[in-house]
Amino acid sequence: MINLLSIFTSTIPGTNIQIISMIEFIVVLVVGVIIARIARLYIRRILKDKLPGETLIAVEKLFYYGIITIAFIVALPYIGISLGGLLMAGGLLGIVLGFASQTVVANLISGMFLLGEKPMKIGDEIGVEGVDGVVEDIRVISTTIRTYDGIKVRIPNEKVFNARIKNYSEHPVRRFEYVVGIRYADDAERAIEIIKQIAEEHPLILKEPSPLIFVEELADSSVNIRVKLWAPSAAWYGVKMELLWKIKVELEKAGIEIPFPQIVVWEGKKKDENN
Amino acid sequence: MFGEYELNAEISDEDVNIVIEGRGKTKHYKRNAWGEEIEKIIHAEGGKMVICPVEPVNLPKEGVAQYLLIELEKPFIIEPKVSTSIFLRFPVEIGVFLVDRRDVERIDLFSKVRRKYTLYGPPEKGVICRWWRSGVYDEADKTEKFVEGIIKVDIENDYTEWVELRKIVFGAVQMKIFYGDYAYMHARMKITGKSIGEVSFIDYKPKKMKRAIDIYLAKGMKKFEKKFVMEWGFK
Repeated sequence: MINLLSIFTSTIPGTNIQIISMIEFIVVLVVGVIIARIARLYIRRILKDKLPGETLIAVEKLFYYGIITIAFIVALPYIGISLGGLLMAGGLLGIVLGFASQTVVANLISGMFLLGEKPMKIGDEIGVEGVDGVVEDIRVISTTIRTYDGIKVRIPNEKVFNARIKNYSEHPVRRFEYVVGIRYADDAERAIEIIKQIAEEHPLILKEPSPLIFVEELADSSVNIRVKLWAPSAAWYGVKMELLWKIKVELEKAGIEIPFPQIVVWEGKKKDENN
Repeated sequence: MFGEYELNAEISDEDVNIVIEGRGKTKHYKRNAWGEEIEKIIHAEGGKMVICPVEPVNLPKEGVAQYLLIELEKPFIIEPKVSTSIFLRFPVEIGVFLVDRRDVERIDLFSKVRRKYTLYGPPEKGVICRWWRSGVYDEADKTEKFVEGIIKVDIENDYTEWVELRKIVFGAVQMKIFYGDYAYMHARMKITGKSIGEVSFIDYKPKKMKRAIDIYLAKGMKKFEKKFVMEWGFK
């Protein structure tokens, strides 16, 4: 019994910290982590139906890391580190670490700004740094994107924050365009009428904002008709894929053809023929 | 055709034929509606099948819209500080549900009518709506039950000026649909400004009508919004 007590009261070699103090420090930390996990579970259950997914995750993270940080601060005195001393030492250490971890700090601060500014949320389809895909997670240091071909890409928040972010899901509707070339011999007004009819009949081509279809260019080989159509962002790509071929088929049914590029070559008369 | 049926039944009405049959717990469900066919195999120990009109925002793709925009064939102009009631028509979508004491599951959804969607509001923050055009009627005239239902709208112009209505937007989440020979809803519209109004639904079951299954409650979704605010005008 005495031996056990002496073990607990003995210090860790090379430090002034007693083993019992270290155990207390670890116990407080473990209790803090357990409380944080329980709190996260309860928050998820209570707020699941009341908050959108990404806000819920942010609130969960705030509580989880907040409780662990508090537990850490509470536990520090057990190993002889007072908060005042820690702050003083922290100042000096901060300078050293600041130089050593500039990138990490930049990512961290960028992450906080991203979480505050919310240019995107989890589940949004975005394009950033040349990567297009769905936002899987926005963490404090980095943002994870799942590309359309299923690859997970981690981008440091500093890059995300400074980059031009295209958010394809932010607005409820999205426009797409085609250029349809027809022969000079074809009736462009009739072609426009047919394309308008196709747009009108398709349920997901929106009535408002209305489709815009017009002759845009008298090009080298064709009369080019510009087609601008709006569709719900959620169904945009499917509609875009579906419609172009339908336009081609319907135009051909009406005798309107999409021409190949062509060059007319005029051949001059030979000298012999002149003679 | 709207109504409750046992899990061995054949229902035919106009160009719609629904058959659910089979011995024991395995049933075969077949539906042919206006040339479109679907078949499913169902394992059920009890329960019943309900065919009823549902919120008309689910076809051809669910989740695209949660609103119904009815464009009026002729503008409706209302005097300041006056209340009145009008009748409009809305498109019908038909849902087939399996119901038992524990759960409701939608197994089929079909419609005869044309589907078209539109945007109410600006492209950056508007809402996507199922689009439909309707006349304005003084009373609930007979409709083709598989094409259009009737929606009574109590309009109250609480504003100090005349207001012209060319469209009304209804939130599908708030809809209360009833059915008998035809689908029916009762809505209330309160005009609070030249281009602002609130649209909600009255949850009162008319006599000889049944309450349709609420597709959102059937999916386990909770309804928080009680009304839709038309903040982008009526034109």
